[in-house]
Amino acid sequence: MIEGTLYDGATAHPHAVSVVVADGRLELRQDSGWSDNVEASVLKRMDAPAGLLRIGRTDSPGWRLMLPAAAEAELGPLLGRHERYGRWIDRIGLVPALVVGAAITVVVVGTGYIAPHWIAPHVPMSWERNVGTAIVGDFGELRCRDAKGQKALEDLVERVAPGATKGPDAIKVAALNVPIFNAAALPGGYIVVFKPAITETSPEALAGVMAHEIAHVRRRHVAEAMIREFGIGALIRLFAGNVGANAEQIVSLSYTRDNEAQADSDAIAMLKRAGISPKPTADLFTKLSKQQREIPGYGAEFLQSHPLSDKRAVKFAAAVDPHRRYEAALSRDDMDALFDICLPRKK
Amino acid sequence: MESHHEWAAAGDDRAIRFTGNWREYLPIAATNALLIIVTLGIYRFWASARQRRYLWSRTHVIDDTLEWTGTGKEMFLGFLIVVAILAPFFLFIQFLFPALMARGKVEAAGGVFFLFELALVYLGGFARFRATRYRLSRTWWHGIRGGSDDPGWNFGGEYLGRYALVFVTLFIMFPWATTRLWNSRWSAMSFGPLKFRANLDAAGLKARWALIYAAPFAAMIVAFAVIAAVGINLEPASGPNPTLGGAFLVIVLLFYIAIPLATLHWYAKFFRNAASATRLGELEFEFDASTWDWLKLFLGNLALAVVTLGFGLTYWGYRNWSFMVRHTRIYGSVDLGDLTQSTTHAPREAEGFADAFDVGAI
Repeated sequence: MIEGTLYDGATAHPHAVSVVVADGRLELRQDSGWSDNVEASVLKRMDAPAGLLRIGRTDSPGWRLMLPAAAEAELGPLLGRHERYGRWIDRIGLVPALVVGAAITVVVVGTGYIAPHWIAPHVPMSWERNVGTAIVGDFGELRCRDAKGQKALEDLVERVAPGATKGPDAIKVAALNVPIFNAAALPGGYIVVFKPAITETSPEALAGVMAHEIAHVRRRHVAEAMIREFGIGALIRLFAGNVGANAEQIVSLSYTRDNEAQADSDAIAMLKRAGISPKPTADLFTKLSKQQREIPGYGAEFLQSHPLSDKRAVKFAAAVDPHRRYEAALSRDDMDALFDICLPRKK
Repeated sequence: MESHHEWAAAGDDRAIRFTGNWREYLPIAATNALLIIVTLGIYRFWASARQRRYLWSRTHVIDDTLEWTGTGKEMFLGFLIVVAILAPFFLFIQFLFPALMARGKVEAAGGVFFLFELALVYLGGFARFRATRYRLSRTWWHGIRGGSDDPGWNFGGEYLGRYALVFVTLFIMFPWATTRLWNSRWSAMSFGPLKFRANLDAAGLKARWALIYAAPFAAMIVAFAVIAAVGINLEPASGPNPTLGGAFLVIVLLFYIAIPLATLHWYAKFFRNAASATRLGELEFEFDASTWDWLKLFLGNLALAVVTLGFGLTYWGYRNWSFMVRHTRIYGSVDLGDLTQSTTHAPREAEGFADAFDVGAI
């Protein structure tokens, strides 16, 4: 017979009870004459500090029986093992659970990381275009609408990638009146160039930048990035909180860097075919990297989405053929028109 | 048998005390960390259930420990439900906002963003309420649990309204808003048949709030003084000036130290006042952590995480809980025969919303 304390779940009042284990059940008795039998199948272990055995019932939420820890010897077989890590893990053991978990995680992350690269080329361009059109629209007031300038910009695209602005998968290029030095490929074959990238560079350097963005579109890097973002990116951010967000950034950035390098190689090939010198593009990257260095905190290449401009400059500069006569990217008239693309429309 | 307890407020027989120790908790912390890593974070729901089961079972109240009955599974499911509700909403905004911007409709985009923020504030308040309610419903003592019959939708509305007022008044109304919200939230909670009652007011908190308000200005004045002092020595030399750089550093440090300290100073008083203003039946509470105590807790947490290369993070929950318990006092009496089972509905969705909005329950 074991002496213990019982809460009945109806009030907080503790009852002194004596407990006897018999025939796979507990027989509880009180001095007042009250008694009760509880089947072992409804008993479960609860958490308790050392020295105490606390038992609950699956069929009665507040019911608690507290016995000295020594009662374990007699009641242990009835109660089974204490739930520790969670039911599944307890069943297979901690170490196997860790191994299985790690293996699944590696497969999931690996797939989420690599798969978009293989899936993206098979996504119909029309789907990507639908998404792009929904997001991009016509840019409203931001877009520079000078007709001659627009024609010159499209000529520049045609110059580095003949036929790129025609056909069902045409690249649509737009200049935006936004005071940031940048250009970007958007879903659906849209390429946007911000004003300073037009007015503060030569057409040859701009040709290099455009070729890079065209390569992103043609290699389906944009679709790839979207798939990765909505797949593994969303998954990791969902469950892992802040630590995961940082981990995810490293994953997605290092991957983007592969694509960036590929886009650079493509761009160099396009410039070569068009007979445009890669030198002005190299100079542009040198200038950008110098500006970057002047802003502290831009240090580690590891965490940047674009390979540091210095390295890219070297790559473009190495592609310069000293024996070749390069041509201008645009005619004088086109150059002037492009330069004025963001001016208010002429009468 | 006596069913009426009176007990001392201090010493070994303090009404509430923490009996855990870090060595005993170590296996839980270590295995939780490992399992979270190999499951891409999914195990964190089970990890937090294990952590709470330990902490609650080592929290001794009067003559018995607390008990946590929440499970990892229910918290995981609660999280999935919230994701299913919120994900389409977030996705829609994520597309709508850039789409409007790209079409040059800046005002419309701003309007959408504003509505989005309003919805977030409402859900944030709702989440806080539900987290408190959920935790009480899974907290047992003497076989009795807590809870609330209020679903919290109205509290979300009150939260939104009060914080809108705080915003409009440039945060001057903050002490009034937070104290009223504390009252509304806790007065809707119960343990067994006993209702929590809270009548916290902003008196005694205004001075500390004014201090937070003044901290940036004070830091700026000091900064100007430093610049003025350094400025005399400025020579028209070319290149970066080390003295000026030093002055800049002082300014940044001031902002990063003065404002957080003032904020901590406010919260220390807020929690002391809040505990004193809250009752449960005949029970009264007291919380005695000073600003310095809080500072030691936070610096200790930081130092622990740094020294252990991040593993110490797994002890933050433990340290925070034991801090709260160690600084809490309970006075008064409770009639155990009258402390009957709670009739409140036990919520099923766990802390999904609170988890999604990263808000605590206290």
